[in-house]
Amino acid sequence: MLEWLFRGLRHGVVTTRYPRRPETPPVGFRGRVDPVGRGGVGLEDLCPTGAIHVSDGRISVDRGSCVLCGACVAAEPELFSFVADYQTAAHRRGALFTGGKGPRTEELRPALGERSRTLRRSIHIRHVDAGSDGSEEWEIHALTNPYYDMQRLGFFFTLTPRHADVLLVSGGVTASMREPLLRAFEAMPEPRAVVAVGTDACSGGFSAATGEVAGGVDQLLPVDVYVPGSPPAPIAILHGLLLASGVLTREIAA
Amino acid sequence: MSIDRAHASSRVPTQLLDGIRVEPEEAEAPERRLLVSAGELARATRALLDAGGHFVGTFAAREPALTLRVLVAYRGELVVLGASLGEERGYPAIARVTPAALLPERELHDVTGIVPLDHPELAPALRPDPDQLPRRVVGDQTFVIPYGPIRSGVFEAVQFPIDTGGEDVLSLTVRPYFKRRGLEQRFAGLPLDHAAHLAERIAGISTVAHAFAFAQAVERTGRVEVPPRAERWRAIHAELERIANHLDVGVKLAEDAALSVGVARFGSLKEQVMRLRARLCGSRFGRGVVAPGGIRNEPLISVGEVLGTLDGLETDLRRDRSLLLRTTSFTDRLIGTGRLDVETIVAYGGVGPVARACSLGIDARLERPYGAYPNLGFTIARATGGDAMARFDVRLQEIDQSIHLMRQALEHLDRLPAELAVRVDAAEGEACGWTEAPSGELVYCVRTEGSTVREVHVLTPSLRNWPLLSASYRGDVLTDVSFIEHSFGLTPAEADR
Repeated sequence: MLEWLFRGLRHGVVTTRYPRRPETPPVGFRGRVDPVGRGGVGLEDLCPTGAIHVSDGRISVDRGSCVLCGACVAAEPELFSFVADYQTAAHRRGALFTGGKGPRTEELRPALGERSRTLRRSIHIRHVDAGSDGSEEWEIHALTNPYYDMQRLGFFFTLTPRHADVLLVSGGVTASMREPLLRAFEAMPEPRAVVAVGTDACSGGFSAATGEVAGGVDQLLPVDVYVPGSPPAPIAILHGLLLASGVLTREIAA
Repeated sequence: MSIDRAHASSRVPTQLLDGIRVEPEEAEAPERRLLVSAGELARATRALLDAGGHFVGTFAAREPALTLRVLVAYRGELVVLGASLGEERGYPAIARVTPAALLPERELHDVTGIVPLDHPELAPALRPDPDQLPRRVVGDQTFVIPYGPIRSGVFEAVQFPIDTGGEDVLSLTVRPYFKRRGLEQRFAGLPLDHAAHLAERIAGISTVAHAFAFAQAVERTGRVEVPPRAERWRAIHAELERIANHLDVGVKLAEDAALSVGVARFGSLKEQVMRLRARLCGSRFGRGVVAPGGIRNEPLISVGEVLGTLDGLETDLRRDRSLLLRTTSFTDRLIGTGRLDVETIVAYGGVGPVARACSLGIDARLERPYGAYPNLGFTIARATGGDAMARFDVRLQEIDQSIHLMRQALEHLDRLPAELAVRVDAAEGEACGWTEAPSGELVYCVRTEGSTVREVHVLTPSLRNWPLLSASYRGDVLTDVSFIEHSFGLTPAEADR
C-alpha cells in the first residue's frame, strides 16, 4: 500500500483551481455555437436538431437543442462560430437562446442561492440516467478524478436520493425511465435542486423527434439548472453544480 | 484459431448450404448477400454457424420490400442472408439455432409485429417496466434483488434482477432497453452528413467507432475511396477511443476494489487521453471528426505533439499497471470471477475483449480489414482464463497495441497527399460497414438514396454480449456483480439505441 501512496504523490497537484481561477479550454474546443452575423434564408435547415431560429434577419441558436455537431459552422462559417467556453450552464431554459429572442419556456424560478444557502459546502448529488448516450456519465464521473476533484468544493455523490440535495439527470427521459426518475425525485428531502446535464436532458436533442422520449427533464420535473452540451465538459457540469448551489450566480452571457 | 489472410478471398462453399435454395444478390466483397426463403432462413443460419461462422445480428429491412436479414461473419466474409416476407408474418425463430438471437428477435417482434415462430421467450422487450421482475429461481429461501435501473453510482440505466439466497448469485438476468430512444428510426430521411452526427450519439463512449462504421457503409454503397490521410486519422481517433474505454474499465474495477489511488491514477490517465482528443479535434469524445468520404477537419495539433503525449502516457501507464497487477487485494477479486468457457462464448456469438479473453481471435480489424488497418501491423491481444482478470489483461494488452498502431499511423503522415475527404453523394443502394469498437465488432447496415439515408440498422457488440453477462455467473457472490459487469465494459446506450 505504501507504494500506492508514493505513486499518488509522485505527480504533484494537477487539480484545477476553478472556480477561483478561470479554466481555459484548449484551442478550438467546441464549447458552444454563437451566431456571429445576420441571417438569410434556409438557415434553419442547416441544423439536424432544429436549434437555429431566424426572425427579421436575426439568428438565434437554442443551445438547449444544439448538439454541437458543427453542421452550421461548416456550412456558414461567416454566420456561426464555435466558442471555446466551459461556462455554458443557465438557470432558465429561455436563457439558453442566444440573443434572448427565442421563446421563453418558463418564468424565472426563485433564486436558488436563497434556497440552498443552508446546503453550502456539503452538497450531496444523486445522478439518474434517463436515456443519455452514455457520454454524460463519463463526464459526470470525471468530476471525481484528480483533475477536477469536486470534493474540494464540497460536492459528493450519494447512492440514495434520500440523502441527496441535487438530482443530476442526463437523457431526455424515456418511457421506461419516467417512473424511476419521478420516484427518485420524490424521495429527496427539500430543499432540492434538479440539474439537467447535456442537450438530451435539456430538450431531447436528436431523440426529441422520435416520440420515444419526453423531450427534456423539464417536461416532468422543475429544472433549476440547465447544462447544455453534447456532452458538456466536466467544468461545464461543475459550473452547473455551482449555479445550483448558489455559490456562483453568473449565468451564461446572453 | 488464427485468422488466415488467405481466408479473405475464400467463398461460402455451395455444399455448406446444400439442399437450401439460394439466390445470390449483388454485393461487394467481403460482403456476400444470399436470398433464401423465410422458411429456410433458420436452417441456412445453422449451416453457417456449424461451419464456424459467428452470429452478428438479425433485423427486418423495410425497403424496398419487407425483408428479414440475418448476418453471419464467416471466414473473412460478412454473409447477409435475406428472406422476403410475403403475406405470411412468421418464420422459424433463429433463437432456436443460436441463443444470440434471443434479444434481437424479441426486439424485431416488438417493432415490426413479425413473429419468430417457436421462439423460447417472446415476451415484449422494449419499454420494460422496472416493477415487473422476472423470477428465474423459485424457492422458499430465495428472493430477487431488483438492481437498477437506477444503480449505485454514476452508471447508465439498465436493470439486473438478481435471484439470490442471500449471498450467492443464483441467477442474474439482464434487462436492457430502459434507454431506448428510437434512434435507428430517426436516421430515415436525414442527409448523409447529419446522419453521421446521429451515429456518433448512439453510444457516446464509442463515438468514433459508430461514425466510422456508418461512414464505411455509406462509402460502400457509393463505391468511394477514402483518401489515405483520412484513413490514418480515422484509425488514430478510433484507437484513442479504445484506450479511453479500456482505461475507464481500469478506473471502475479499481473503484470496485476500493483502491483509491488506483482510481485516481487510472482516472488521470483517462483524463489525459480525453484531453488529447479535445486538443486534436475540439471534442473530448472525437465528435465531428469522421464524415462519409473522409474526415471533416485538419487536426488542431501537430503529429509531434500527439507523439509526445503518447510517450508520456505509455511511461505512466507502464508504472501504474505493474503496481496494480502486483496489488493482491485487486487481482484476488478478478481471478476466477465471472468465468466463461469457449463453448458458451461461441454459442452466444460473443465478441470483443470478452471473446478474446477466452483465446478466441475475433477482431473485425483482422477478419475483414478496413480503413488504414491492412497497412498497419498489430497482433490480436488474447488471454486464456475467460475470467474478469483475463478480460482486464486483454484490455491492457490492447492499450499497448493501440499505441503501437497510432505510432505507425502517424509515421510519414505529412508525406501523404493533403486531401482529407472526397464527395459522397451519388450513393444508392444497401451496404454494411463495420469497425472493431472498444467492446467488439460493430456493424451498420445502411440503405441510401442519393444524398439521403433511407434506413439504418445497427448491430452492436453490447447487445450481443449482454446474454454472456448472465451466463458468466457460476458460483459468484453478490459482491462480484460489479467486478463482472465492469470487466465486460458494455454500454447500455449502445444496446438500447
